[in-house]
Amino acid sequence: MPPQQAVAALPARASSNLRLGLLVPAVAAVVALALLPVFTSGYVVYVANVLLVYVVLSLGLNLVIGEAGQFSLSHAAFYGIGIYAAALGNKLLGLPLVGCLLLAGVVAALLGGVIGTIALRMRDIYLALTTFAFGEAMQWLFLNWEPVTGGPNGLRIPPSSLFGVEILNDKQAYPVVLGVALLMLGATVVISRSRLGRAFRAVRESDVAAMAMGIPVRRVKIMAFLLSAFYAGVAGGLFATFSTYIHPESLGFQTTMTVLTMVVVGGLGSTGGALLGAVVFGLISELLRQAPAVQEMTYGLILILFMMFVPRGLAPAVSRWVRGRGHV
Amino acid sequence: MIEVENLTLRFGGLVAVNDLSLVVRPRTIHALIGPNGAGKSTTFNCISRLYRPTSGRIRVLGRDVSGLRPQDLAPLGVARTFQNLELFGGLSVLENVLIGAHVHCGGGLRERLAARPPAVIGHVEHLLERVGLAEFRHAQASALDFGRQKMLELARALAIRPRILLLDEPAAGLRNREIGALDRLLNELVERDGLTVLLVEHVMQLVMAISHRVTVMNFGARIAEGTPAEVRRDPLVVEAYLGQEAAHA
Ligand SMILES: Nc1ncnc2c1ncn2[C@@H]1O[C@H](COP(=O)(O)OP(=O)(O)O)[C@@H](O)[C@H]1O
Ligand SMILES: [Mg+2]
Repeated sequence: MPPQQAVAALPARASSNLRLGLLVPAVAAVVALALLPVFTSGYVVYVANVLLVYVVLSLGLNLVIGEAGQFSLSHAAFYGIGIYAAALGNKLLGLPLVGCLLLAGVVAALLGGVIGTIALRMRDIYLALTTFAFGEAMQWLFLNWEPVTGGPNGLRIPPSSLFGVEILNDKQAYPVVLGVALLMLGATVVISRSRLGRAFRAVRESDVAAMAMGIPVRRVKIMAFLLSAFYAGVAGGLFATFSTYIHPESLGFQTTMTVLTMVVVGGLGSTGGALLGAVVFGLISELLRQAPAVQEMTYGLILILFMMFVPRGLAPAVSRWVRGRGHV
Repeated sequence: MIEVENLTLRFGGLVAVNDLSLVVRPRTIHALIGPNGAGKSTTFNCISRLYRPTSGRIRVLGRDVSGLRPQDLAPLGVARTFQNLELFGGLSVLENVLIGAHVHCGGGLRERLAARPPAVIGHVEHLLERVGLAEFRHAQASALDFGRQKMLELARALAIRPRILLLDEPAAGLRNREIGALDRLLNELVERDGLTVLLVEHVMQLVMAISHRVTVMNFGARIAEGTPAEVRRDPLVVEAYLGQEAAHA
């Protein structure tokens, strides 16, 4: 076989092995995750909750940047909108947990759709700057719209309730957070493989060609922003289920950069990468929380090192490794 | 199938297409030739609505295209390729062609969610066989050699199941053997599948062999039209091409 053909044939053979090889560990991982609160302390469960929120955030950011190739730097704003929407839905409307999560997702998605529509006029650095400015403006709003957000005093989030039971601690919230995160992960896999997912990638690779294939490029771009914001909103809703307090300080560009770093570390454009990046990088940042001075520098360093040496992220390397083992 | 009437497009002071009229008859291969910069690609871009003409009218399949957006042409059955390759380079060969079938994957929810939509996957695989790329289906498009990238663009366009195919220099950069395969494929598409082809091409060997009709452009305007044999004898055409050769020398 000429070398080029060998290269072409390789992934085809490996993919079925890969699927089987991944199914068993995946099921085992889900079972282990479900049993986590039985074996571990409240702190570990808290960290798990935080990581799962990061997973949902990363999945959403990867949809718009990784899959659709549209630079969006307002993820933290949509996340914040989700937190406030869920908290206020609970506090003012007395919505149950599922209602709060949906409200969080839908409000964020609507705003995402608006931003997406505005973003149609821009690309690249202009788009990045505009979405950045929107994120800053939203943070300003969170800080100054005191009657609604509590402004600089922050907002106390009352315990949410699921089927009449109040969720008072991390362990009680965990099954909900895990369940929703897995649901979002499943949805991401389905979307990525679907006609819409292909349209996202087509727009990313060449919007002129995408148009020639009959893809409504504008609608697809808006959809990417909208979906991505929905994920961020739901992530915010999840955060609200296990948190008692939210302050706008944590809803700025720093948080967007953290999620962006997760997606880049994992591998832009790969669902598995977003998952992996959120977990690995989320753990690192939790470890570094004790030393906040080092934290930001370390983030920057990790991002630079990955851009230089692993520009495609962890995902391709890991899947090569898994594939390699499948052959032995 | 395609009627272009008094098409003019100016870029600032430059008249890229100058009062061009052209009729492409059903089930024919109509070649559009002329020196570099003559306005051939610009004409294509007007037909596929990437450019808005300054004046003139274009009808495709009996429809005035002036109200259409670029993405409205594929559903009508008009497909195109690009002179400077516009593949989805980071995606696999298979996915490129699957995206070509986008307008046929919109049936029910199951069809929309399917990674390999049953209604199109057979046709997509068949097209990959037909252009000789079946064994490369999982390769990344940008990793293919140039000739195969050109064939992939053609397969992707055919996945639209078009009635009209606009090809912008499909043979440029191909080897002789590949040009032979392209020649056979285009003939088959017209004779057997009933397509209509508007072909911009510099490879005269291909143009003369397969075209039913040839329109020659220079400086945005039509300078000749006829059968390949008629056009070849036309003094204006000879002069346009000789002029170019002289300029290159
Ligand atoms: N987008 C554009 N903006 C300005 N000038 C253009 C543009 N596209 C093409 N042109 C000019 O229009 C003329 C015709 O170009 P083109 O249609 O690409 O020629 P051909 O395909 O026949 O080689 C050239 O002079 C080219 O420089
Ligand atoms: Mg051209």
